[in-house]
Amino acid sequence: MALRELKVCLLGDTGVGKSSIVWRFVEDSFDPNINPTIGASFMTKTVQYQNELHKFLIWDTAGQERFRALAPMYYRGSAAAIIVYDITKEETFSTLKNWVKELRQHGPPNIVVAIAGNKCDLNDVREVLEKDAKDYADSIHAIFVETSAKNAININELFIEISRRIPSTDANLTSAGKGFKLRRQPSATKRSCC
Amino acid sequence: MALWGIPRLEERNERLQDQGPSRSLAEALCVGNSLLLPWDRFSAWLHCICVVGFDLELGQAVEVLYPPHSKLTDKEKTNICYLSFPDSNAGCLGDTQFCFRFRQSSGRKVSLHCLMDQFDKDLPVYLKKDPAYYYGYVYFRQVRDKTLKRGYFQKSLVMISKLPYIKFFQTVLKKIAPEYFEKSDPCLEAACSDIDRWPAPCPGTMLNLPIMGVVIKVRIPTCHDKPGTTTQLIETTPQTDAHISISLPTIHEVDLFRCFSPVFLHIQMLWELVLLGEPLVVMAPTPSESSETVLALVSCISPLKYCSDFRPYFTIHDTEFKEYTTRTQAPPPVILGVTNPFFAKTLQHWPHIIRIGDIKLAGEVPKQVKVKKLKNLKTLDSKPGVYSSYKPFLNRDEEIIKQLHKGVQQKRPSEAQNAILRRHFLELTQSFIIPLERYVASLMPLQKSISPWKSPPQLKSFSQDEFMKTLEKTGPQLTSRLKGDWIGLYRQFLKSSNFDGWFRTRWKEMTQKLEALHLEALCDEDLLVWIQKHTEVEAVDLVLKLKNKLMWAIAEHLPVKPDTVARLQMHIDSIISALPEDLQGILLKTDTA
Repeated sequence: MALRELKVCLLGDTGVGKSSIVWRFVEDSFDPNINPTIGASFMTKTVQYQNELHKFLIWDTAGQERFRALAPMYYRGSAAAIIVYDITKEETFSTLKNWVKELRQHGPPNIVVAIAGNKCDLNDVREVLEKDAKDYADSIHAIFVETSAKNAININELFIEISRRIPSTDANLTSAGKGFKLRRQPSATKRSCC
Repeated sequence: MALWGIPRLEERNERLQDQGPSRSLAEALCVGNSLLLPWDRFSAWLHCICVVGFDLELGQAVEVLYPPHSKLTDKEKTNICYLSFPDSNAGCLGDTQFCFRFRQSSGRKVSLHCLMDQFDKDLPVYLKKDPAYYYGYVYFRQVRDKTLKRGYFQKSLVMISKLPYIKFFQTVLKKIAPEYFEKSDPCLEAACSDIDRWPAPCPGTMLNLPIMGVVIKVRIPTCHDKPGTTTQLIETTPQTDAHISISLPTIHEVDLFRCFSPVFLHIQMLWELVLLGEPLVVMAPTPSESSETVLALVSCISPLKYCSDFRPYFTIHDTEFKEYTTRTQAPPPVILGVTNPFFAKTLQHWPHIIRIGDIKLAGEVPKQVKVKKLKNLKTLDSKPGVYSSYKPFLNRDEEIIKQLHKGVQQKRPSEAQNAILRRHFLELTQSFIIPLERYVASLMPLQKSISPWKSPPQLKSFSQDEFMKTLEKTGPQLTSRLKGDWIGLYRQFLKSSNFDGWFRTRWKEMTQKLEALHLEALCDEDLLVWIQKHTEVEAVDLVLKLKNKLMWAIAEHLPVKPDTVARLQMHIDSIISALPEDLQGILLKTDTA
């Protein structure tokens, strides 16, 4: 079975749960007192997708402002970017939009963008409506899911959807040199949360 | 700047003890467990990272040091400062990478590195750490900047390490330094944090080392690798995107062909000079050329280890400047790489001088054949070439010259030319060393002379005459087509520090092998029968001796069969339990030394 290495980066405001999402995906664990990331942390996980093995090389970037300028190193060469916001903090959703702009301008041309509204277990204190986020994601053809790293909701689904959206190697071969257009995909199967 | 706390060693030691006394830091690093404190993993790779800048009043100065608690003596700092900047008027505009080596100040506290010797034992001898020296890997940037008083931005990012992994650290620096010069401190913080999560530098395993958004894949060779087999990377994906991952075919090898191309016709002679540990100086226009050429020289006798001192880049400010340039003694048996024109005068009395102009890309090989006379080496304006009155013992290998020449004409890729040259040197060195290996192996006593109840037999001593006699029938002529005065070459080699170093290593290995065989012989005895025939005092004495041997076998990693240590422990336990109870109590507690 062919093994493909796929660089994936996580972007988003500080404290939205980027590292927690990665921990849940890679280690299937959750630590409420995780330390702020310095620079970026790196983890890998290999999953099977159809007749390929996808090895995700995950760069989980620091959300703190002082590391902001380092982001290009992590999205350079990435097959996908997961931009995370916190559904209980409106301003993290604004930050997300800035990330989308930056990726548009400086990111790799065919990067798959996924938007994750994390902490969906905290529905009571929600500030960002699911529909608003979904509409925004659709308007930029991004994957959208609400996730909870804490309760393990939609984490695997998020990565499965990324695997699905990444052009297969065959497609790469046939369309080499012509540039690749993303097909519209049916949106991710979501487990309803809360 | 928010950083990790300074490691509290006591805390770690306590935790290590909780896990049982046999746990070492190296093991902890290998299994990657929670015993590690911040910077432990980092220290396995690097001593520190520093930024050296230029201050108009002070000159070069260390501006930033990571980790902030890392120790450098003033002398070391001074050396690092001078060695991190070009010393010549060659300019070096733009970005330059090079490497230097400096002596560790004496009297410094034992660093964590020493706990990592476990990795060292599996390394090929030429990659083992030298406790007395550090390497400095430099990325220097010099660009015009009108906003600065000096008119230029001049800064070096320097990695200080005991590991001689030049290609690897060059690659890492090339990732970090340009980002650092643009984005400053957070970038170094991120890089250090990446390095502090790296797996330990374990020889023989494929290492994935994430740094600044890419994964560097590399394998550190082991002493069990067949010499000359370059790392075969298992490429899982045909990936070329350097933004994702970089596969390094070698962690330490420099491009021999490129380095030697200015003095290409003299490679045979250079190999002999290095083999014999002759004083050698490389005068080059820039630090990167001097350092690469010195490293190429040192590595051309691989798998033999070059045992004397070598300085890929040496300046007039170096602590050892006086020691190495004095005219009151003969030049020391070292290899120096210099760029400052001042050395042309200072080292005029040196017997062998390699002068290289700008290293050109493959395609141009100088035509001159003659070795130049030393008196022709005047000062600045001397032409590239080898200046020496040395007469090589062996004839020049015209085949290899022809082969490489053809490669140049056919525009063969530099990697291929390098591989051909490296193989040539390897075969030459092996042809030279095999007769010595064979003779030294014959110094081992016969297995039947090992008796468990006597001390292990002695190795026979090395006799030059006897060795020379073996050359008639089983000399290098069996494996090398080269003609010449091999005997003379051996005679000279036996006086060199390279022979001394090689022989010491072999001697130690054979002594350990003898000890191991002796231990195995002891294990095969029925010791309980033995103590029945002996007095209690003798039994106690035996227990103490066995305990000592056991500790030594573990500490020295004696090459015993896997179950020997456990069997010996069982023997000790069963003898003790056969003794009276009061004695048992004492013996179980006694730790011998």
